[in-house]
Amino acid sequence: MVKISFHHRDGSLDVLNVDDGTSVMRAAVTSGIAGIVGECGGQAMCATCHIYVREEYLDVLPPVRHDEEEMLDCTTEPRDERRSRLACQLSAGRDFEAIEVDVPATQF
Amino acid sequence: MPIHENLTVDTPVADWLNPQELMTDPYPSYARLREAGDVVYAPALQSYLVPRYTALRETQLHPELFSVRSSDVNTMMERAFGGNRPMLRKDDPEHAVERQAINPTLRPRQIAQTWSPRFAQTVEHWIDHLLEVGPENADLNRDFAAPVASQNLIDLIGFPSEVHVDSLRRWSTDFIDGLSNVMSDPDIWARCDASRAEVNAVLDELIPHLRRHPDASITSHLLEVNLPEDVVRTNVMLTISGGMNEPQHMITNMVWALSTHPDQQRTVRAGEVSWGDAFEEVVRWVSPIGMAPREATADIEWFDAKIPQGATVGLLFASANRDDSVFPRADELDVTRNARGHLGFGTGVHQCAGRWAAKNAVGEVAVPRLYERIGSLMVDDSRQVSWQGWFFRGLTALPVTWD
Repeated sequence: MVKISFHHRDGSLDVLNVDDGTSVMRAAVTSGIAGIVGECGGQAMCATCHIYVREEYLDVLPPVRHDEEEMLDCTTEPRDERRSRLACQLSAGRDFEAIEVDVPATQF
Repeated sequence: MPIHENLTVDTPVADWLNPQELMTDPYPSYARLREAGDVVYAPALQSYLVPRYTALRETQLHPELFSVRSSDVNTMMERAFGGNRPMLRKDDPEHAVERQAINPTLRPRQIAQTWSPRFAQTVEHWIDHLLEVGPENADLNRDFAAPVASQNLIDLIGFPSEVHVDSLRRWSTDFIDGLSNVMSDPDIWARCDASRAEVNAVLDELIPHLRRHPDASITSHLLEVNLPEDVVRTNVMLTISGGMNEPQHMITNMVWALSTHPDQQRTVRAGEVSWGDAFEEVVRWVSPIGMAPREATADIEWFDAKIPQGATVGLLFASANRDDSVFPRADELDVTRNARGHLGFGTGVHQCAGRWAAKNAVGEVAVPRLYERIGSLMVDDSRQVSWQGWFFRGLTALPVTWD
């Protein structure tokens, strides 16, 4: 199991333990984590699973691919050049062994 | 198929639902369905309807329970498209291979860089035409929205310029009629077969050309991932079926909405609300696609209802978009609200592939340019405005005039 921590703006925290291969978006949507929408179902066609990855987890992540790069320009909350990712593109086990992310105030 | 006999008393039944009333104006029925529950059985449609926002979104996010591989729908779709099933009727992972092929040309940046300038050229041409028809006789649906939507689709699928806008419209209509040919009317199949033959004749020449000279078109993108040729053809036919009416209806819906709400028109035209936001609100308020079907893969207890395996489940997008618990005063048009999150394009992996193309082509190019060039454009109340449909709903005539 892989641990994913979602930090919300109000200071609250949601922690999930998920199976390998589960994307951060899928984990959040399946568990009803507030603030992650995932409107397009995980194909990098929207930007409603925008997250800010905490600094200490950035190094191991795979680089942003072209399609994710394009959609990160469409986030509602301003993009952070280092920390912004689409949660649908980050997969437990494959891309990280544990991760902590900040959830934006809004996805729309 | 008396599947409702298996129900417990818990599942609300809308025995009052009348398909004829839906055709005329579905919104009063939608309001009553939303009051009835999250899942409501409608005997007249032999379907379990999902009229509220949260339940609909949840239903669409569970394709393992509510599959697009509905047997009845697929039989007609395979018949209409000549034996194959397009991506709309496949679940992941099968669907993903085909869908991911076309996504790169339909993301916002590619739309802005590649497609938007072509959308703009087309719009200029057809505004010229509208002006020639003149303020006494102009019908925005016939003289502008339909040909603009058709030409944009011709360009997006990479069909040659010789293909006339009226041909593509006819193909689209014939395919849609075939897809809903529940009575197996032989005349409808004959039209559908003839249109399929015409589309295949265009593809016979186009496919070898695109293999040598790939371009930004949807057809070219489908070929690039080495899908079997019959799969490419079927998905092009799906695009022709699904990419025409909705942008056409959104052009007329927007002009009708802004004409009947002059204060809001002023707000948008003054730049206080973006055209893109106004587009999203009109999609929410009068959604061109009212419903999409799914099929229950098992006996399911779902939001206080029991849905038997094999039952048809109707996702009522147009109703969910009027859910007051998500959109306050949902029956009112309000371009200043944040309408994003509406379900007009669906949600999940089958979300409309053309949503960014439509937003740009209709909301950011066609409609703003219409008002730039014809500042006094308005609905002509002396002639008849007509709406039709609920599964797919739009204006069949929108007489317009100007000073």
